[in-house]
This record gives sequence, C-alpha cells and structure tokens, in this order.
Amino acid sequence: MLTLFRNLFSPPRHMILLFIAAWIGLTFAEKRTERCGVSKDDLNNLTFYSLIAFVIGGRLSFVFQNMPAFTKSPFGIISINPDIFDPLGALAAAILVAFIYGQRRGLLLWNTLDALTPFFAILGIGIGLSHLAAGTAFGKETDLVWGIDLWNSTRHPTQIYETLASLLIFGLVWSQKQNQRPGILFLTYAALTAASQIFIQAFRGDSTLIFNGLRQEQVIAWIALAIIFILFETRLKEKP
Amino acid sequence: MQKNQRIILYIFILIAGASWIVLSANTTNAATGKISAPQAGFAAPDFTLKTPDGEEFTLSELKGNAVLVNLWATWCPPCRAEMPAIEKMYQEYKDQGFVVLAVDMTYQDDPANVVPFIQKYGLTFPVLLEETGDVAALYQLRSLPSSFFINRAGVIQEVVIGGPMSEALLRTRIEEILK
Repeated sequence: MLTLFRNLFSPPRHMILLFIAAWIGLTFAEKRTERCGVSKDDLNNLTFYSLIAFVIGGRLSFVFQNMPAFTKSPFGIISINPDIFDPLGALAAAILVAFIYGQRRGLLLWNTLDALTPFFAILGIGIGLSHLAAGTAFGKETDLVWGIDLWNSTRHPTQIYETLASLLIFGLVWSQKQNQRPGILFLTYAALTAASQIFIQAFRGDSTLIFNGLRQEQVIAWIALAIIFILFETRLKEKP
Repeated sequence: MQKNQRIILYIFILIAGASWIVLSANTTNAATGKISAPQAGFAAPDFTLKTPDGEEFTLSELKGNAVLVNLWATWCPPCRAEMPAIEKMYQEYKDQGFVVLAVDMTYQDDPANVVPFIQKYGLTFPVLLEETGDVAALYQLRSLPSSFFINRAGVIQEVVIGGPMSEALLRTRIEEILK
C-alpha cells in the first residue's frame, strides 16, 4: 500500500498532493469564511494572489541567492525545473502579497486568519502526505512494529505522524462551531501545530542539531508556541 | 477558564515542551552519512559499471571529487535536453575536481543508441552502461532523469528528480558540492 502510494506520487509528482490539499483547503475555508466576516471573493482573491506570489517569489528568491550562476546563464530563470525554488522566499512573498491585498481591501487581520485556518490545516495534511511520497522529513531508525522501510532502514513513520496530527488538528478546528473572538481559531490551530511539531520532531532522522544535540526545529516550535500564548492573552483581553 | 488558570496551563505546557526537547535531544545523530541510501544526507550507494569501451568506473574510488551521478536513457526527452548543459558544466568545473558519471539505463534502453548518442552530443565525461537494473534498484529509480550531487566526502548533498536541469541550476548545485 505504502509502496504503491510512493510509486504513484514519487517526485516530482508529490507536488500534486499539495495542489489537491490547497484546493480542498480552500473549498473548506469558503464554507465558513462569511462567518469570519470575510467574503468568499476576498478569500479566493487573497489565496490566488498569494499562491502566484509564492511561485514567483520562490523562484526569484532562489535566483537572487545564486545571482552569479544566473548571470552566466540568465535563461535558467525561466527553466521549468521546480528545483529552482526557495521555500522561505516563497513564503515571505506570499505573506507580503496577502498583507498588501488585505490592506487594499480593508480586511481585518485576525478575521482573515480565522477564515484561512481550514485552508492551512488541510495544507498541513497535504504537506505530510507529500513528505511521505517523497521520503523526505524521514524518521530515525526504530525497531517498533509500525516502523516503515525507508532509505535502507526501518524508520519511524514521521510523515504519517505528521499527517495524522494535521488531520486531528483539522478535525479540532473544524469542530469549533462558535468563534468567540477574532483570531482565537487561528491561534488554536497555530498552537496545536507548534505543539505537534515539538512532539513529532523528536522522532525525525534529519534534524538540524544545535547546542548539545537539541533539534533546531523543536526549539523554533517552542518559541513559536510561547509567542502564540502571549497572542492568545492579547486577543482575549479585547472585548468581542 | 480564568486568566490565572490559563497562565498556569501555558507555563505547564511550555515546561513539558522544554523537557521533551531536552529528553529527545539527539546526542548520537548517527542517522545518516554512514548509511548508504539515494537521499540527501546519506552516503551515495556504491557501484561499478563499464563504459561502452569497457573502461570500468567505481563510484567509491572517486571519493575526494565532487560527483554528479546522472541516471538517464536515450529515449527520454528531458535527459537528452539536459546533456549539453551537463557537458558544458563538466568542461567548466572538471579542473576543480568535478566528475560526471552518466549512467544509461541500458536494461530499458537500446544499447545500439548509446554510442551514437555520445557522438552526437560530443560527451566527454564517462557514460556508463547499466545492463542489469541493479544500480537503478540501488538508487530506487522512479523517474528519468534523476541526478545525485555527491560531495567530496561521498555524501549525497542534493537530489534532482526530473529535468531538464538548466545550466544555472547545475552551476548552483556543483558549486555546493565542490566546497
């Protein structure tokens, strides 16, 4: 089953899973967006422009970081190869464009983030599945019975942990019927995601280590969780 | 929930998280590097193959060089499209210790096409014949072309599945493995 899945969505086809997740996520987000005070059109436009910025920004960021290589071969900028891509630059570009669009349309930040929460949650499921298909974000070696054979060892199925955690988080945020205050839904999602990362990263076999073997990803998630708690309190201080 | 109760809960969660981070710290990190697997961070699986002239190449003997292992076939359009760029980069970087091993998937290719292909594209790097499918299995080949950028220590640094790779992409990857 796992082999069939990995063969079906082997790179570069694993990106199909991300597109499907984004599409399903947007469909779910649309269903609740009016409740958050954001129109469907605004939600769709915001997502559309941000996705375009994500793609173009990721490419341009990679090019800027490797300028000497592209100066010698400038046509490489328009190459169809998806490896010419910087995910962090892509994310920064998407956030920037979303922010600009939100400003122009007068969208409220926390309401918009709440409206987008189902989209983020389902995208998380897609990311987990695409990791599973590509064999990236792999786990450390284990002799547990649910270990999977990957990269010539039996490993923790961290991609499956990640997918299940994202499914659970989606279930929890989707089951929130009443949104008490703007931002609480998004912050709940963010806190659960950070907490799940702190837990799951412990089983990863490809972590970046800092200090005495601490996993950088866990430390970042912990800091993010602390910030989210502060934001929770600031949101709860405001009257509904 | 009252504010005080929430703050106690936050502190409890953060302490539990910090404890988990410390308890799960990786003090050995023997995960990759020594194990061979066709993935970034792992030692490149070793193989020995011959060129159409019968010259033998063993990947492990090239340790100390930066190596691009390119798995390809003559019938594969993106493989054909990226060959001139690979040849150009080979000429540009070979003096710095850059080696290309272009492994033709001969077991699923027409062997008679390989030599004319080398001549047509003027390839000067070793083109190796994979006649059994063993190397394809070793590298868990799923798509052609597949390129593995191996650093001087013999560890795979980047994997590019699919193509064609542009000169610029090749240049960025090659400069990384030459460091």
